[in-house]
Amino acid sequence: MKLVIRDLKKSFDNKEVLCGASFSFEKGKIYGLLGRNGAGKTTLFNCINEDMEIDGGEFFLEDEDGAARKPAAEDIGYVLSTPVVPEFLTGREFLKFFLDINRKRIQEVKSEDEYFDFMDIDPEDRDRLLKDYSHGMKNKMQLLVNLIADPAVLLLDEPLTSFDVVVAEEMKQLLRQIKKDHIIIFSTHIMELALDLCDEIAVLNGGVLEPVTKENLSDRDFKDKIIQALKGEEND
Amino acid sequence: MISTFKTGFRLRNTYKANSVIYSLKQIPIIKKLLPDRLYASPGLKTFADIAAVLWELLSVFLGKFLYLLFMVSLMSGLMKTETGAGFSHILLFLSFIGAFMNTNLFNPTKDKYYGIALMNMDAREYVVSNYLYFLIKMIVGFMPFMIWFGTKAGVSLPLCILYPFFIVGFKLVISACVLRDYEKHGKARNENNLPAVAWITVALLLAAAYGPPIWGYALDERIVWAAGLSGIVLGAACLVYVLRFRKYSAMCRKMLGRSSVIFNTAENKREIMQGSYQKKIDITAEAESGKSGFAYFHDLFMKRHRKILIRSSKRTAAILLLLWGMTAAACLIKPELGIQVNGLMLTILPYFMFVMYLTNRGKVVSQAMFMNCDHSMLTYRFYRQPHVILSLFRERLKSVIWLNLPPTLVLAAGLPLLLYLTGGTDQYMNYAILFVSILFMSVFFSVHNLVLYYLLQPYNVEIEMKSMLYSIADGVTYLVCYVLVGKRIPVLLFGVLVIVFCAVYIVLALILVYRYAPKTFRLRR
Repeated sequence: MKLVIRDLKKSFDNKEVLCGASFSFEKGKIYGLLGRNGAGKTTLFNCINEDMEIDGGEFFLEDEDGAARKPAAEDIGYVLSTPVVPEFLTGREFLKFFLDINRKRIQEVKSEDEYFDFMDIDPEDRDRLLKDYSHGMKNKMQLLVNLIADPAVLLLDEPLTSFDVVVAEEMKQLLRQIKKDHIIIFSTHIMELALDLCDEIAVLNGGVLEPVTKENLSDRDFKDKIIQALKGEEND
Repeated sequence: MISTFKTGFRLRNTYKANSVIYSLKQIPIIKKLLPDRLYASPGLKTFADIAAVLWELLSVFLGKFLYLLFMVSLMSGLMKTETGAGFSHILLFLSFIGAFMNTNLFNPTKDKYYGIALMNMDAREYVVSNYLYFLIKMIVGFMPFMIWFGTKAGVSLPLCILYPFFIVGFKLVISACVLRDYEKHGKARNENNLPAVAWITVALLLAAAYGPPIWGYALDERIVWAAGLSGIVLGAACLVYVLRFRKYSAMCRKMLGRSSVIFNTAENKREIMQGSYQKKIDITAEAESGKSGFAYFHDLFMKRHRKILIRSSKRTAAILLLLWGMTAAACLIKPELGIQVNGLMLTILPYFMFVMYLTNRGKVVSQAMFMNCDHSMLTYRFYRQPHVILSLFRERLKSVIWLNLPPTLVLAAGLPLLLYLTGGTDQYMNYAILFVSILFMSVFFSVHNLVLYYLLQPYNVEIEMKSMLYSIADGVTYLVCYVLVGKRIPVLLFGVLVIVFCAVYIVLALILVYRYAPKTFRLRR
């Protein structure tokens, strides 16, 4: 399965944020989406998640036989950098609600506690209101429901920055575990994180996406190459 | 100092002009005509500058004109005292209030924040130049109207001419005292956040201003002269102190640091707003639900928010019931009152449109729904699926209508009953019309509030209102209901009109929601 983006365009007023971005993201890999502040990483995600209408171009899912289809709502999971959860529910109630309405689609529904265990959320926190959860815990919940929904494409917008080092390490491990069944696109500002976790690097600069390949460069040279791509300089 | 003042003035103009452009850009059609470049357009900036200068001129005079007219001149006319004495009595005490309520020095304004805290301008020059400008505006603004209203009331011309200086003198004395207090105890005063003592003083001064003249007592003119002249003399001494004061920078930072101006960023506002709404979530053991899916979700929402939703609706119903009971009792005790009420019952149905508008909880419900629920849930894709939006809309509409039922029923049953108790009517249709039209009004407002929310969802992720259209629609609703107040229209006519209008509106609104809400019900960007 591939997520193909072709010639994507999006502008605000007269400012072109995406001007013909094209890329092909494959299943089984974690893609690091790097871009400078305001480069349009979140805009790209918002477009793929159909939070915004695109001005031009297209994106579609292509399966192994080459058949293309438009991504449906359940194909896309999107974890925002600022975690959003319904504050008036407890963690367990949110999970129950989510499982209720997605029961038909989820392959094997586990018990709520199994999911909490999987996410390493303490038993005493499970029945507290989400409004009293910490930033990191809310983020875990958000990630959890997105994982349960098992979408083909998982968009992660700076998801690890709010976790402490231990949890961040766990989450990285988790993403590596699930990547074989998903197309994971991971936006971040932190190059080290991208290099550590991601299999491929895509740089968003000047409204277009370009892959930066390591080939046989040393780590240091690879970083320089990425920086150059981010600055938009010619690299040869 | 003059260049500092000019910079400050330009700064104020710039953000005033920008906020004018910003709000223009919120209006649907105009938005498309105005490009982003507008903020940089020199022509428009010049225009905005001129407008700002004109506004400044207007503000020098208009406020003072209205103040003297309504707070002093007209009031002194109502008093038992001779108007001249009443005039200067009232104005003297009001000026004392103004001396600490309107200081300019201790007002944490945006331009002070930008200029002093952000751009590091010389605080003393900035504050003092603006303060002097403020005092001059006081004198210039007050003088003509003081002479005009004062002499008309019978105040002697010399007193009229000197009064503006008295006012400035009082302000200077109080400001110097507050500065001194800061120097000694390090307490930075914020005039928009006065301590309780100050409010008590205000109340006492207000009582002193308007109380005695009602009974025919006013201060002797000699006392006014003495107070005013000592104000001028002390004020002059205090002016020196104000000019020489050295700690404006630290004081302003402290004052601004505690004020809301600084923290008025979108992010902070969102936190404050959401925090206050989240406090209203009430978790108790009984708030559980046996339902599943969206019904479960919505059920828990309503139960966790019963404090602001269900309880307040019951409270409204209780108050209405009490009012009804009192009216009914009064009518039974005094039959002649009953006859009047009977007549009213047959004509003041329009008035109840406004009452229904005020008692309807639809708007509060939709706000709570956004703050504590949709704000986060709308970022989930599954939540925005058309069938989800519509099924939740149905659940919500049912709840909102049900929620408004207690006050509605009190009114719907109460009005015909009151009509009956006060002598009844020959046309039995009137009873039915009263009952049914109140029910329709209630459903109408419930639908209206919720439909507006679904069709124009006005907030963005930062919980800023981003829809001018929503504000306009909301304002028009209020205006229409308000205009109806005081209209006397026979029950039969108005009731039938209301029922037909509400029925048609509800059907149309629901069609619109079913057709468009899946597209419009999302976070604004």
